[in-house]
Amino acid sequence: MEQYFNQYIIVAIFIIIGIALPFGALTAGKLLRPKAPTKEKQTTYESGNEPVGLSQVQFNVRYYMFALLFVIFDVETVFLYPWAVAYQELGLFALIEMLIFVSLLVVGLIYAWKKKVFEWDSI
Amino acid sequence: MDTRLFAADLLDMLPELTLFIAIIIISLLDLFWPKNASKKGIGVLTLIALIVSAGFLIYQRIHLDGVISLLNDSYLVYHYGILFKLIVLLGVSLIVMMSFGAIRDKDIPHIGEYYVLLMPAALGAMIMASSADIITLFIGLELLSISSYILVALRKHHTKSNEAAFKYIVLGSIASAFILYGMSFLYGMGGSTNLFQIGATLQSLESSFHPMIYVSFFLLLVGFGFKLAAAPFHTWAPEVYSAAPTPVVSFLAVISKAAMLIFMFMFLPVYFVPLDPVQNLTIYSDVVLTLHVVAAISMIVGNIVALMQKNVKRLLAFSSIANAGYFLVVLSTDRPGELVYYLVAYLLMTIGIFAVVTALENSAEHQDISIFSGLYFTAPVTAVMTVILLLSLAGIPLTMGFLGKFFILLGVIQVKTYWLAAIMIVSSVISFYYYFRIIRLMFMRSHSEHTTIKVPVTTMIVIAICVVATIFFAFFPQYMLSFIEWT
Repeated sequence: MEQYFNQYIIVAIFIIIGIALPFGALTAGKLLRPKAPTKEKQTTYESGNEPVGLSQVQFNVRYYMFALLFVIFDVETVFLYPWAVAYQELGLFALIEMLIFVSLLVVGLIYAWKKKVFEWDSI
Repeated sequence: MDTRLFAADLLDMLPELTLFIAIIIISLLDLFWPKNASKKGIGVLTLIALIVSAGFLIYQRIHLDGVISLLNDSYLVYHYGILFKLIVLLGVSLIVMMSFGAIRDKDIPHIGEYYVLLMPAALGAMIMASSADIITLFIGLELLSISSYILVALRKHHTKSNEAAFKYIVLGSIASAFILYGMSFLYGMGGSTNLFQIGATLQSLESSFHPMIYVSFFLLLVGFGFKLAAAPFHTWAPEVYSAAPTPVVSFLAVISKAAMLIFMFMFLPVYFVPLDPVQNLTIYSDVVLTLHVVAAISMIVGNIVALMQKNVKRLLAFSSIANAGYFLVVLSTDRPGELVYYLVAYLLMTIGIFAVVTALENSAEHQDISIFSGLYFTAPVTAVMTVILLLSLAGIPLTMGFLGKFFILLGVIQVKTYWLAAIMIVSSVISFYYYFRIIRLMFMRSHSEHTTIKVPVTTMIVIAICVVATIFFAFFPQYMLSFIEWT
């Protein structure tokens, strides 16, 4: 039992380091760097472009649909890769299983298509 | 042991596979359904799929010999599992039939989705009834939960319904997280995801691990109590029940509860862990005590708060909270036969009374308890059948509800938990008041809110099936009990 709890000490150390590291790094940076602010320096960094508008804008809800679909097919790829690597050992059975899996996602795709998820003006 | 699945094993999963294939085919059919055709066709197809699946189950039951174990013991086909699956399919079939007359276009914009989603929910409950592995159990639970979240949210243009659905999703996800956390403790102690292996390992653990076993049980209890709507975790129920479409409410009240009961039925044997061999103490006795306390709180809170409800669906929500208490009592006495009997009784009376409520609320366009007033003078047959269902809910003799409660009471008295028996009797007596208030409204108020009430034929059939079965199995309980015990 004690051994069991001792394993949590590693977790505790991990959490403490995780919290302390960013605080420590930023504090050290603040102490070391020279401070000479100008107006340009204090603007938001946007890859060298001029920042436009506020950061808290409302995003169109349609992006959410695309994001959902993207995640589904993203996960599909994640599953396909290990299967493709181990294809020789797994053989026909896994091929059929994979076909079932992909065809289920195709059903989802047809559903999204018929529900006009891919059309920008559908909502 | 070979963990792979063979084609011959698929035959044992035929009831589930039937539903699974039906979900795909019917959801595709729904997409290509003619625009001006009635969506009731989807409902009819759903009903056929459910009945075919039930047919395979009955075939399986007749030819069952012992326990069939699939996928490295994670999926079991066994006696009580098949019974629970049959109960789930019976309930969902009745709910689909009730929906033909109850679901309207102006309420629910996506009727096709409504019928299709009932099937994965039933499939989730069936998977839970078959699995002996915590991962399979959790997948079944989530399939059931996620489908029911969408079902609750189907009244898209109704603000209150959206609010209730959102609360249900957030609270339900938290409850799932609690269950998962409890499972993780069991996995940590037992070193396996298989419930039988966990149970065997827990028995041999040294006593310093026992607090962790208690922690795992209390975490599971939170999630379980939430989904069952047992008392300290019941607060979502009245709001969700009053805002969701009524057939969906009957689904939550019956099928979700049945699924959670089978869930706990699988988990409780894990806790037969000996504490003190001299005094014959086990952790299980503490588990039973906890279940008794939750049951007592559920019965008291459910029945007392129901007294002051004006909304009929909120009233039935508190009645179902009280029933969750009765279920917990029978679960703790470890009598699966009585559990199945009361579950069938509860299914029949709850679905029957909700079928009546759908017809009345669609006619009156509100859910106040006054929809029942003067029902005897406008629709005498419906009124009389409602009386029988209410008497069964209240537990008056010559109904299934009475016999079910009587069996539960006998079980409690046999294990000498007299305080719980007392609470059960007293709270049942309290419940008479609010059930009889509905009956009084039907007979004593001559003026009705509606001049004529059209009860759709399919709804009438559902009510009639529920009433006839409630009375038949009260007079001849031996038929059902022998079917339950039949091996």
